[in-house]
Amino acid sequence: MTVESILDVDNLTTHFFTQDGLVKAVNGVSYRVAKGETIAMVGESGCGKTVSALSILRLVQEPPGKIVSGRVTFEDVDLLKVSNSEMRRVRGAKIAMVFQEPMTSLNPVLTIGRQVSETLELHQHMGRQAALRETIKLLGMVGIPQAERRVKDYPHHFSGGMRQRVMIAMAIACHPRLLIADEPTTALDATIQAQILELIKNLTRELGTSVILITHNLGIVARYAQRVYVMYAGDIVEHGPAQMVYDKPRHPYTLGLLASVPRLDETRKTRLLSIQGQPPDLIYPPPGCAFKPRCSYGTQCRDEEPELVEVAPGHYCSCQLSRNGKLPW
Amino acid sequence: MHLVPGGPWDQEKQLAPQVVENLNRKYHLDKPLVIQFGSFLWNAVRGDLGVSYSYQDRGVTQILLTGLPITAGLGITAFLIAIIIGIPLGIAAALKQNSTIDYISVLFSTLFANIPGFVLGILCIILFSVTLHLLPTSGWGSIKQVIMPAVALAALPAAYIARVTRASMLEVKRQDYVRTALAKGLASRVVIIRHMLRNALIPVMTIAGPELAALVAGSFIIENLFSIPGIGRLFVQGVQARDYGLIMGIVLFYAFAVAVVNLVVDIMYAVVDPRIRYE
Amino acid sequence: MAIAAESIRPHRSLWTDAIIRLRRNRFAVAGAVIVFLITISAFLVSIFSPYGYDQQDLDAILQGPSKAHPFGTDVLGCDVLTRLLYGARTSLAVGIFAQFIVLVIGIPIGAFSASASSRVDNLIMRFVDVIYAFPDILFIILIRSVLGGSIYMMFLAIGLVAWVNVARLIRGQVLFQKQRDFVIAARAIGASENYITVKHLIPNSLGPVIVAVTFNIPRAIFAEAALSYIGIGVKPPTPSWGTMIRDGYDVIFAASHLVLFPAVAIAVLMLSFTFLGDGLRDALDPRLRR
Repeated sequence: MTVESILDVDNLTTHFFTQDGLVKAVNGVSYRVAKGETIAMVGESGCGKTVSALSILRLVQEPPGKIVSGRVTFEDVDLLKVSNSEMRRVRGAKIAMVFQEPMTSLNPVLTIGRQVSETLELHQHMGRQAALRETIKLLGMVGIPQAERRVKDYPHHFSGGMRQRVMIAMAIACHPRLLIADEPTTALDATIQAQILELIKNLTRELGTSVILITHNLGIVARYAQRVYVMYAGDIVEHGPAQMVYDKPRHPYTLGLLASVPRLDETRKTRLLSIQGQPPDLIYPPPGCAFKPRCSYGTQCRDEEPELVEVAPGHYCSCQLSRNGKLPW
Repeated sequence: MHLVPGGPWDQEKQLAPQVVENLNRKYHLDKPLVIQFGSFLWNAVRGDLGVSYSYQDRGVTQILLTGLPITAGLGITAFLIAIIIGIPLGIAAALKQNSTIDYISVLFSTLFANIPGFVLGILCIILFSVTLHLLPTSGWGSIKQVIMPAVALAALPAAYIARVTRASMLEVKRQDYVRTALAKGLASRVVIIRHMLRNALIPVMTIAGPELAALVAGSFIIENLFSIPGIGRLFVQGVQARDYGLIMGIVLFYAFAVAVVNLVVDIMYAVVDPRIRYE
Repeated sequence: MAIAAESIRPHRSLWTDAIIRLRRNRFAVAGAVIVFLITISAFLVSIFSPYGYDQQDLDAILQGPSKAHPFGTDVLGCDVLTRLLYGARTSLAVGIFAQFIVLVIGIPIGAFSASASSRVDNLIMRFVDVIYAFPDILFIILIRSVLGGSIYMMFLAIGLVAWVNVARLIRGQVLFQKQRDFVIAARAIGASENYITVKHLIPNSLGPVIVAVTFNIPRAIFAEAALSYIGIGVKPPTPSWGTMIRDGYDVIFAASHLVLFPAVAIAVLMLSFTFLGDGLRDALDPRLRR
């Protein structure tokens, strides 16, 4: 595996110091993104995938949050240690982010043209006119019709899907090396979801941008990502090539996630299985494997700290039962 | 007006009945009430607010115009003071929550939002004029004369504005679009000024109109306290002298002014918030 | 009958819950205590004060605070503290009794407006908005100068302006109840629909009305003081803080305490009621209940 990686997250730990206690949102998580690659981060809400992404850009609210330890290597530099002004040069220009809620992520009192061009003016030092021309071009690229007119419109003139396209335009404006898309389609209609994902895929392939695609829907992962990381309660429990994880999941949690995704090729008689129980309390997580209380096979394993072990080429899993071949699939 | 016992001609000396009758006829006081009111309104719309009964040589409109610049000056000065103190205080308090400045802001708001300007004016007079002999207690024109009444008048709106600004800014601070702006690499100062301020000030503007109106109301009492020759003092003098013409003229003028102020605020509101422009 | 029981049971626990929450708010408690103390002192001053409120002592005029006269004496040698407490009676009386007028006018108008046709309702509400936009002092001065006369007329003058808040509140409550009970009305006998509305109305609006009235009181107190200061408030010899300020202002350089004490008294009483009102509002807010 000597493909050059552009982002290397090493043992990242982020906690939140709240009134109710210490929330261990991200616990020593490690992952990497190779050049031009799209990786997916999958898990339920609250498992820490968004927080780990925000940690990369140091956008975690401090207080109450704090990146406690770890290393984020990007372009040979540890992002967690650079100065604030250095970080600002990275944000939006070299690493860009698209958020989940298009309805509230755009400023209602500024035109969308302004919001896109301010990135260009800031990072590429373009003048007003030049930035405007480039903005129109970008809006066209993301599929907004009549871009020259719509550039002067305000966010409330656009639908959710359109707003998300604007967000994507904003993100790729400066040709970032890495795009973090945090659940970019969760808030959108099903028909639009596919369009947006296709758009991201095409644009990033054209520009050679790497992508971290965060989602809770394992179903889309195989189609849009090369590798996938499965997160649970602040830990990565499984990762590997997307197709492999999708076809042969090794961790019980991953299996549960897959079973809860509706598939067109299944007969209607098959019930959608949801994983029983609730995600664990991140203030007082259970010791050892966090998934054990909900796992159908939880009675069979020993209480010990889970460790990611390679179970197939490039495919890692932290479930000891899986490692020992004790799982029935 | 006519319900009050005694007519406008009752003063220290008794006028001969014939004189009274002539005066009444001249000022149309012998015509039915409805006609009097109707003609008054008609004249008012054309800019003629009628005749003052105590200032027999000048029309009400003229009297108003002498007092207007003074009252307007006081009101606007106080409003500017209130904004200059209130808005930055509220913003600073919201940006540095739980710090000293936040604590001061909340204290300031709670205290001064409930003490009337009248009382504050008196306290200022006692402190600065009587005890310290620094400022004069009356008159209008020099900065020394302006500062106390303006500050006394501005305290309440300033406190209220500070409170609303702080609450609004806190609300804006946690919005998604602020996070987006930061993710684009903008410096926090730019984010505050370009992205947060306009949104935060929208609720502040909705109260600006009523506050300005309330400010002119407060000025009535302050003008009396500091003997400032503005409309407020004229009004009170008119009331004391039972000068119906003056009283009615001022009330009408005031109603008009309130309507204009509210209209202006509505327009400004549309300028600031693009969402309501096309509704 | 099941509905009647439902509207009684939560009623009781709301009050005890509110009192507990109120007690925890230190400002509100301080406000209540101060109001209480001032009221008691105002009542008892005639018994405990060695001076009458207009008892002159021309040998001891314009004295500052001393042991014999804790707040000093005025131009005629009257004891300031005594006059202050008698003045408190006026302020409290006006503040509180004006609210009766407010309720008597506001509640029926609000209820009527909500029950009337929407055109009538709009008209009334437009009228209310106009009054609300106009600063109250101006109107009060106007009405007072028209009506003239006694202190009872002052209650009326103040009440005639301050009813708008309560009217809006009641209208909101009635409208809410009406559209709520619309569903129940389908099941109930036609005639009892109004009965149900009223039965729900009273416990639900009691809290907000109490809060609104508590906030109105300091404004009424201020109105009385302002009117008296201008000279169209209470007539001497009735004592009033506003009159004390006006009379004392003439000698302010020689004896500032004559103006200071009434002014501070006004501020303290107003602040106390306001804090109490704040506390009541938070305590009675059903959304903050645990």
